[in-house]
Amino acid sequence: MSALLDHLPEFWQGLVVTLQMTAASFAGAAVVGLVIVAMRVGPVPVLRTVATVYVETLQNLPLLVLLVLAVFGLPEIGLKAGLTTTAVVVIALYEGAYIAEALRSGVNAISSGQGEAARALGLTFGQSLRHVVLPQALRTVVQPIGNIFIALTMNTSLAAAVGVVELTAAANRVNLLEAQPIPIFVGAGLAYAAVAACAGFVTGRLERRLAVAR
Amino acid sequence: MVSIKRVAAVAAVAMAGLTACAGTDSASSAVPGAAPSEGGGSGVLADAPVAAAADILPGSTMEKIKQRGELIVGGSLDAPLLSQQNPATGEVEGFDADLGKALAKYIIGQPKVKIVNSASETREALLSNGTVDVVFQTYTITPERAEQVSFAGPYYSSGLSIAVKKGTTGISSPQDLNGKTVIAGANTPAIPAIKKLAPQAKIITFGGDPECVQALKQDRGVAYVQDETLLVADAKKDPELQVVGKPFTQDPYGIGLKHGDDQFKSFVNDWLKKIQANGVWQGIWKNSLGTVVQGEAPTPPEIGSVPGS
Repeated sequence: MSALLDHLPEFWQGLVVTLQMTAASFAGAAVVGLVIVAMRVGPVPVLRTVATVYVETLQNLPLLVLLVLAVFGLPEIGLKAGLTTTAVVVIALYEGAYIAEALRSGVNAISSGQGEAARALGLTFGQSLRHVVLPQALRTVVQPIGNIFIALTMNTSLAAAVGVVELTAAANRVNLLEAQPIPIFVGAGLAYAAVAACAGFVTGRLERRLAVAR
Repeated sequence: MVSIKRVAAVAAVAMAGLTACAGTDSASSAVPGAAPSEGGGSGVLADAPVAAAADILPGSTMEKIKQRGELIVGGSLDAPLLSQQNPATGEVEGFDADLGKALAKYIIGQPKVKIVNSASETREALLSNGTVDVVFQTYTITPERAEQVSFAGPYYSSGLSIAVKKGTTGISSPQDLNGKTVIAGANTPAIPAIKKLAPQAKIITFGGDPECVQALKQDRGVAYVQDETLLVADAKKDPELQVVGKPFTQDPYGIGLKHGDDQFKSFVNDWLKKIQANGVWQGIWKNSLGTVVQGEAPTPPEIGSVPGS
């Protein structure tokens, strides 16, 4: 236990980095997801194909592979950014594919009559997406998106492998010194669990408030 | 669907290409240790002693291992010269790996080992819950660790050194690292050592040695601090690297055993003394680390000479 308590500052710093990465990459993933789903349900065939390929590709590659490729591969072709920045961008692009899929299932849940009605009112594709389809789709997929948020939080731990000192890396470093893996990793695990529990609580509340009665 | 498949195929080819590159790297790193030990490794082990039946005390850990017919070793599969799996033969080769085989022969009569690939985060837990019998994994003896596990040995003494990209000037000692970004292997003794000797250095860590070398070459840091033997092996196969200065720490490696198993500890220490006296230890060194480090095998450290051992 003292192995954990003696190193609370290191753990705290790691947790802060984890939370920052989670917030930044989730924001990025939300934007990516919205753009991709708009392309995917839109009327332009080329964009639909691009979006489909994007989702299929990213969902079929392990995140760790993408991270290692981005951190060690991109500098070979002259693209180099900071480690944390690279990790956040990669996680955002990766989780964006999952958010796009969650949103698409939300869009599919809306009856086609809604889209037809929007068109009959003279709304353009963008307008009907913005004012009619997406608001309802979002309300249907609060829970799935909450789950993606939780998965994203856990996935930030992979950044430890490419040199970012977040919670997992901090735990590794403390363990290197103290050699007491069980209390140390239980402690780190509890911190992750607390973040996930908060996210679960918030999405639960949101879902109850936003649920679309059907 | 066709387009998806095509993209997937392109991606797969790209990935295969990348892994092929990585594969060449690790294959070449396997070479220094692999080539000689194929011929000589078994020869050295042929001379390795077998314990007298009286030494295998009834009810002891040794007896349990002998009855099982296999020594379970916590180790690595990716540490060049120390414990690395040869992709061609599947054999694990290197200094630590061969010592593990020699210990297995001492207990069982045959060099039969099973290597459990243990990470530095899990070694203590694997020992205390009995998943592995011993740990051979450049396991530096420290007083903190000695509270969790027992250490036989030390069986080897190494030290941290600094590598830079060829042509880098102004770095020759750990103090020169102050204010600079330094690369270190995750979970290696390099991290506390840098913090102590160059408190103003910024440390970034990567999982394995190949990643660290790559990061150094891509200027993510100006220096790479790692065990000298590993750095010498890296520099030997990569002309862009240069090892500067002399080792600046003493890292005594111990054989990790379950905490409190004093019977087994003195048994393993006896074995170490025997193989050091009859030249098997030196032979194993020559086959592995000796392929990149010049000169004769070093004098092994005195057993029990380090706090915690």
